Amino acid sequence: MPPMVIPEKCDGCQGEPEPLCEQVCPGDLMMLDQSVNKAVCRNVGDCWDCMNCTKSCPRQAIQTRLQYQSAFFPGKLIPLVGTHSVTWTLIDCHGNVERFVMKTLAGDEDEEE
Amino acid sequence: MVRERVYIDADLLIIGGGTAGCLAAWEARQRGGEDLKIVILEKAFIRNSGCLSAGMNALNMYINQGTPEDYVSYTRYDMCGAPIREDIILSVAEVVNETVALLEAEGLPIKKKPNGRYLNRGKWNVEINGSLLKPITASMAIQAGAEIYNRVYVTELMNIDGKVAGCVGFGVRDGKFYIARGKAVLLAAGGCAGLWRPRGHDDAHHRIWYFPFNAGGAYAMCKRVGVKMVGFDHRLVPVRTKDTYSPTGTLAIGMGAPMINALGEAFMHERPEYVKLGGHTAPTPTRAWALCQETLNHRGPIMMDTRRGDPERVAGLKGQYLDMSPALVLYWGCNDINPSMDPIEIDAADPSLVGSHAGLSGAWTIGTSRMTTLERLFVSGDALGAAPSRFISGTWACGRLAARSMLYYIERVDPQYLEINPDDLDRLEAHTFEPLDRYQKCTFYTNGKPIEGVTPEEMEWRMQYIMEEYCGGRSHWFHVSESYLTLARKLINRMRHDQLKYLVTKDLHDLQLAWDVINRLDVCHLVIEHIDYRKETRYPGYVNRTDYPNVDNENFDCFITSVWDPETDEFHFEKEPYVQIVPGDRNKESI
Repeated sequence: MPPMVIPEKCDGCQGEPEPLCEQVCPGDLMMLDQSVNKAVCRNVGDCWDCMNCTKSCPRQAIQTRLQYQSAFFPGKLIPLVGTHSVTWTLIDCHGNVERFVMKTLAGDEDEEE
Repeated sequence: MVRERVYIDADLLIIGGGTAGCLAAWEARQRGGEDLKIVILEKAFIRNSGCLSAGMNALNMYINQGTPEDYVSYTRYDMCGAPIREDIILSVAEVVNETVALLEAEGLPIKKKPNGRYLNRGKWNVEINGSLLKPITASMAIQAGAEIYNRVYVTELMNIDGKVAGCVGFGVRDGKFYIARGKAVLLAAGGCAGLWRPRGHDDAHHRIWYFPFNAGGAYAMCKRVGVKMVGFDHRLVPVRTKDTYSPTGTLAIGMGAPMINALGEAFMHERPEYVKLGGHTAPTPTRAWALCQETLNHRGPIMMDTRRGDPERVAGLKGQYLDMSPALVLYWGCNDINPSMDPIEIDAADPSLVGSHAGLSGAWTIGTSRMTTLERLFVSGDALGAAPSRFISGTWACGRLAARSMLYYIERVDPQYLEINPDDLDRLEAHTFEPLDRYQKCTFYTNGKPIEGVTPEEMEWRMQYIMEEYCGGRSHWFHVSESYLTLARKLINRMRHDQLKYLVTKDLHDLQLAWDVINRLDVCHLVIEHIDYRKETRYPGYVNRTDYPNVDNENFDCFITSVWDPETDEFHFEKEPYVQIVPGDRNKESI
């Protein structure tokens, strides 16, 4: 489920020494394209789909897309990260929407996203 | 000396900021006091690195019932009654529950039953909301005041007269040469994925079960400095959801969904050839073997029948996978699969080498000290061999125990930092950066490919092709024989001996890939020679020897260990006896 960066949303994490997606990627795959000052995945085939880049992006500029060889188009899975939970929105290929709130950290039991 | 150098000295030098390494740092601080200098070298960014980076929805080792001895009995049974290091598993099982409580106190959400007890999944698992498992684990090391160096890729250990002085590596971001020494050194890097061909190709080639950036560095570095190794005659063949290769414990143990074949038979329950081997609770390798047998006998595709599972639990399936393998949830959404209505197709995936999951690979250790056959070098996590089924929670515990042992060693021996010959350091530096320096001298084709060199990707593909074809990959249904192994040996050794000198990399990211290939080739070497040495089939499903299809207890009911000789490039093999500590039938679970 390689990360695709939407150019209109990504600002290259201005002010950070490196974009947050680059900082967190366990495979060292996200990098700043200096020519446009935006993040890019240097090799989408090397991605393991941990989704840390997608979750950590402060501008929700990263969309994760399944490889077409294993899944039809278009479907989307969008995480919205809260302090103690993450809210996932799954939009399947036919536009059906499902939402899941998953706890991530103990405490603040009533939090709702 | 060409590059800027970073010199680091630490009382406890920890290589790998993962499950074991972080808890080792935490334990060392509790017991070693404020003045102890603890350093962690981490290849990526410690809060999000390694095989926990996507999260996990259960802890697979927890004593929900029975005793630590019962867990040893289960582990032994699950590895086909085969030799395991019962002493090590027992030591882990004794502290695993209290260790889980530590992580819960750190913020890990563990699901509870109405009576307040942890929600169990089968006998030995507890369910969690573990998408932040890695940040929570890392915070244990951070709050312990460990000095953490992120983005440092360790390339070699330094063996000085039988003692490990420390290690060297390179900064993935800064390109500096790192030299780290320790009074005690803990190698806690991950296992090894990517030796065999993955099922997905091109942009899906890392859509595999095990973390693809675990490239066997721990095994390869140990091998190269002459540590005694064990368990490479065994590999984990994971049965996983087809295409995404996500874990299936959630379906099998969590929902009670049985495997079914094309005839609709729950074959582990219904076919006598599998019932006699233990049925649906047969050892893990046996279940992988049964899946392969069913497919080979044209009764595929094989599914996990969620329709026969617990309906209440099946309803929460998507949420459970979001905590661990979100790709699968999107995959269902894009392929019109509703997991509570449709059976989930499964398959046997590319093999992995691991020490803490259902695998036996790693360094041989002395008693329960976690010290290897080289003084000062300790191992934990996937680097520790012959002690399977520690999983995440047991690996936390195992890291703590390693730290205790290292502190005891420091107290007892009072080791001083070892002097490293400057010429050796120059040589190691040149060796570490060789592929990068070679690239600088290259000329290029019009398509940008180097004329005088080979890229890490090209070498990886060749290596995976050789292992797939000649060392029992999935396309051969994990079958090997002497004839195939002879070809594998010839080709892999050719790569090791005279092809690595052509390896070229354009930048520091690719230098990591280059070292991944160098390390994987050393692990291939271990695998080929160990599988060849074990002339029997002890773990059908994982390693099927067509020339020795049966168990040979007379000759091989033992651990097989090896020490590599750099002069001859051969392994010195030894058989270590299996010691049964927990009494009882090795082929039965005690509870």
